[in-house]
Amino acid sequence: MARNRTDPEDFSRPLRRVLVGLLVLVLLGLFFLWRIDSARVERFRTALVDRFVPSFQWASAPVTWGSGIVDDYQSYARLYEQNQQLREELRQMKAWKEAALQLEQKNARLLDLVNVRLDPRLTHVTGVVLADSGSPFRQSVLLNVGERDGIRDGWATMDGIGLVGRISGVGKQTSRVILLTDSNSRVPVSVQPSGQKAILAGDNSALPPLEFLEDNDAVRAGDIVVSSGDGGVFPAGLLIGNVVKDTDNRLRVALSADFQKLEFLRVLRSHELVPITDAGALIALPPVMGPPAPAAPPDPATEAGGNG
Amino acid sequence: MIDGATKAAWLHRALFVAIALVLLFIRLLPLGSVAGALPGPDILLCIIFAWTMRRPDYLPALLITAVVLLDDMILMRPPGLWTAIVIIGSEFIRARVALTRELNFGVEWLLVAGMMVAMLLVYRTVFAMVLLPQPAFGFAMVQVLWSILCYPVVVALSRYALDLHKPAMGEVDAYGRRM
Repeated sequence: MARNRTDPEDFSRPLRRVLVGLLVLVLLGLFFLWRIDSARVERFRTALVDRFVPSFQWASAPVTWGSGIVDDYQSYARLYEQNQQLREELRQMKAWKEAALQLEQKNARLLDLVNVRLDPRLTHVTGVVLADSGSPFRQSVLLNVGERDGIRDGWATMDGIGLVGRISGVGKQTSRVILLTDSNSRVPVSVQPSGQKAILAGDNSALPPLEFLEDNDAVRAGDIVVSSGDGGVFPAGLLIGNVVKDTDNRLRVALSADFQKLEFLRVLRSHELVPITDAGALIALPPVMGPPAPAAPPDPATEAGGNG
Repeated sequence: MIDGATKAAWLHRALFVAIALVLLFIRLLPLGSVAGALPGPDILLCIIFAWTMRRPDYLPALLITAVVLLDDMILMRPPGLWTAIVIIGSEFIRARVALTRELNFGVEWLLVAGMMVAMLLVYRTVFAMVLLPQPAFGFAMVQVLWSILCYPVVVALSRYALDLHKPAMGEVDAYGRRM
């Protein structure tokens, strides 16, 4: 293959330089192709990852298992301290549970009163995290469920508690989840209780900032952030996290999902939302399709001619 | 039929691919790299530079292309751009093998450090030119600094564990020519 001699009489050097130049041009061409027609190249990338990464699984399983043991051992080491902490938490939780039960009953009564039917189609598929993004500049994980499990692009992904990200890139047996912390992630959210709408914009930090808030003063640290459902990508009302203020008074969100240990993730099957394109079509039929016009009166001229 | 030098070359090529796969595997392990954690060194780049500097015939350009392009694809980088930059960088060093043979390690280190920073700058410039979002400069620079710090370690490991050294005076290659 490529041999490079320092011999000045070697004729292969200029030829080699041309070939390497061509190689670099091809690579840059690939880059620009990706920039221009990203979908095609990304499909290829997804297929490649789909083939490549699951073959790592036999090797990664023992390693993750081993690191799990180390983690567990470390938590054994401070067992007593943890026990006290848990007891304390349990006491608080009991009080909360009472409150929650009462609220649940009240809520059920109210729902019954207004005759609400909860959407039965919001079910989920659970997947296991296969691999990280592998790069400190991208925040995504690879799940072991894909097209064959009915996963589609854009579906919301949660861990047990809060929203984690959304599906972006589906292979046959794997799919990629872009996490909320990735710098490409933008999710429309609403902040409760003030009801302010905002965009949660990932910026590769652990606490993504809230952008485009209408009134910063209406939002306080500790407020709950849920998905707003705007844009029709995510279902509304999924828990995301709590508002925190960072050192320069910018509003950020402390995510509820445990991003340190993403292991099992739920992919929420969102149903197809029918986009409403026609403004009035739902309420009143547009005039063109109004009540059928009465049959055209027979033309008197032809009538007369026929008779005559 | 296969003499020692050819065998050594192919062994090192196989070893390079194996190391690259292991590095990729370690990075992909789902051990939770939290957002905002500082990036580590790019060891593959250190290996490519260290090996090209010592034995350019062990790492043909096509092999480097294949390995780095696979990394590009799997690690969700824009495909091709970083590979092209690494190829240009390794060719730059390859063309100066005769020169770097006489340099001591300090100067070599300086050269590699300069190249790594320059490659980062070119990479980021192209990103800015095609309007791609990119991580903060300081954040990306941390990775380069780590790589520069790791370079002597990689060189030492290659030297003492794999016996990879610059060709000595009078050493001959597989074809019996002077190197």
